[in-house]
Amino acid sequence: MTTRVKAVRTALCFALLAVAFVVMTVLNINTGSVSIAPGEIFRIVLNRGTDGGAASNVIWKIRLPRLLAAAVLGGALSVSGFLLQTFFRNPIAGPYVLGISSGAKLFVGMTMVFVLRYAAGIPFWVVMGSAFLGSMLITGIVLLFARRVRSMSSLLVVGIMIGSICTAITDFFITFADESNVANLHNWSMGSFSGVSWSNLSLISAVVVLAVIAAFLISKPMSAYQLGENYARSMGVNVRAFRMALIGLSSVLSSCVTALSGPISFVGVAVPHMAKLLFGTARPAIIIPGAFMLGSVFCMGCDLIARTAFSPTELAISTVTAVFGAPVVITLMVNRQRLKENE
Amino acid sequence: MNEEIVFSTRALSVGYRGKALVRDIDIDLRRGQILSLIGPNGAGKSTILKTITGQIPPISGTTVIEGKSITAWPRGELARKMAVVLTDRIRPEMMTCFDVAAMGRYPYTGRFGSLTDNDRAIVHATLRRVRADDLADRDFSQISDGQRQRIMLARALCQEPEVIVLDEPTSYLDIRHKAELLDILSEEARAQQRVVVMSMHEISLAEEASDLIMTVHSDGHVRVGKPAEMLSETDIAALFDMDLNSRAVRRFWTHMRHGDS
Repeated sequence: MTTRVKAVRTALCFALLAVAFVVMTVLNINTGSVSIAPGEIFRIVLNRGTDGGAASNVIWKIRLPRLLAAAVLGGALSVSGFLLQTFFRNPIAGPYVLGISSGAKLFVGMTMVFVLRYAAGIPFWVVMGSAFLGSMLITGIVLLFARRVRSMSSLLVVGIMIGSICTAITDFFITFADESNVANLHNWSMGSFSGVSWSNLSLISAVVVLAVIAAFLISKPMSAYQLGENYARSMGVNVRAFRMALIGLSSVLSSCVTALSGPISFVGVAVPHMAKLLFGTARPAIIIPGAFMLGSVFCMGCDLIARTAFSPTELAISTVTAVFGAPVVITLMVNRQRLKENE
Repeated sequence: MNEEIVFSTRALSVGYRGKALVRDIDIDLRRGQILSLIGPNGAGKSTILKTITGQIPPISGTTVIEGKSITAWPRGELARKMAVVLTDRIRPEMMTCFDVAAMGRYPYTGRFGSLTDNDRAIVHATLRRVRADDLADRDFSQISDGQRQRIMLARALCQEPEVIVLDEPTSYLDIRHKAELLDILSEEARAQQRVVVMSMHEISLAEEASDLIMTVHSDGHVRVGKPAEMLSETDIAALFDMDLNSRAVRRFWTHMRHGDS
């Protein structure tokens, strides 16, 4: 009986997210400084932007890749956050608040400055690789500290401090980099979905899709792990391999985001929590796809605001996500505190 | 009663970082038997339990279930043979008591852990056996300690184990919930023919509930025997390093004999 009610709720929530996704897609593609009729948009998308007109360029080269980047990266960040929250058993863990995005940014920044000194361009997979290395390294450092701190807020403080150090070092590099490189780096380090090329986007999308599928495939041990490491082991989970998978996948996902769009704040913390409230469960098999879809919708919405709120001036995407995401973090901490006091 | 030995340890020494804390543990348990570990804090009761459940490796020796060392069983199959109730406090998010108990079906469910009708029937039957069927739809974080312990027991029982290992299952429970939990465990041992191994602080309750007692001494040796042979006044005084002539010990002793532990 109750299981049927739950199944209906889950199905309704997914349907709702699908509708929201379509609405956001239409709004995003239809809004901007150049207005284009919906029928015209449809034709351009079908032609894959080959007719070379101005409208076609706007849609195919600017709006569509940007829209897809927001969708894919928003989903990736949310799933990455959910994996980290499971790993640290801490609802406010996320790639940005733990300093992991800043670590990726630092490595990408260093790579750009050094490589561009000797070469004209930099292959995108090198950027992705250095973002991944940076993510893994900072995750490792956070892990070292996580063993020593017990409370979830101390872990957050550790993450923020590590993030600040990474940002400081990145700034140091920017200060001493060549003029032309700086412009590049600075734009990217602010975080934005704009200027995404189709080839980079398809590479990132392929990696993200594979990583999310892999995360979905380990949703069963994740649910056991929610009862704690020891119970998970007693139920037959290979805890060591499982923890490696969690950390590896969350790093892949968050470094994809950082490589393509720079660090984006708070999506990883806020969206999984909102998904849990929406679906009324924390079951990984539901929350992984749910958080991905909600993250897509959330980031497309935030990007729409970033583009249009003060048009023609664009806001950095993190400016918008922080406004919606940070209050969620505060709420989570206050609720946790209250829970503790009630015990 | 089935005389087959399902659980044993052979020359088992347990401890941390290569140093043995407790040595030479040899036990043989038949279906339906309850073994309680008793001893002072820090003597190594939890370490023994962690070792026999494979949470930590032994210093030497083996733990055997159904004739096979626990390290030789594949993980998933071992989880169908042995289940645990730990002292870890779990904080699951948005899970009902049914959901928590149903996690015990983990070794039996498919790739994504979906429950079949059969799984659901087993979870409901188990919740009835631990007298918690009325809690099924309650949020796990909203129930009392005594109720929580019964749900954790139900979770372990849903694994349908031959052997169930419990680390101080009665600590932090009031006297009624202690008694109730031990009642449920004896039923599980007798009716479901499971082996129960647990650690306890309440000597009189352990004496009452167990078929065998293992005393774990601070110097690292253990003794195993029937409760009546193990728990004389002098035995306990020696085990806990108490002076029988001290007034505090006498007072405690009188209390304990009245079952007020």
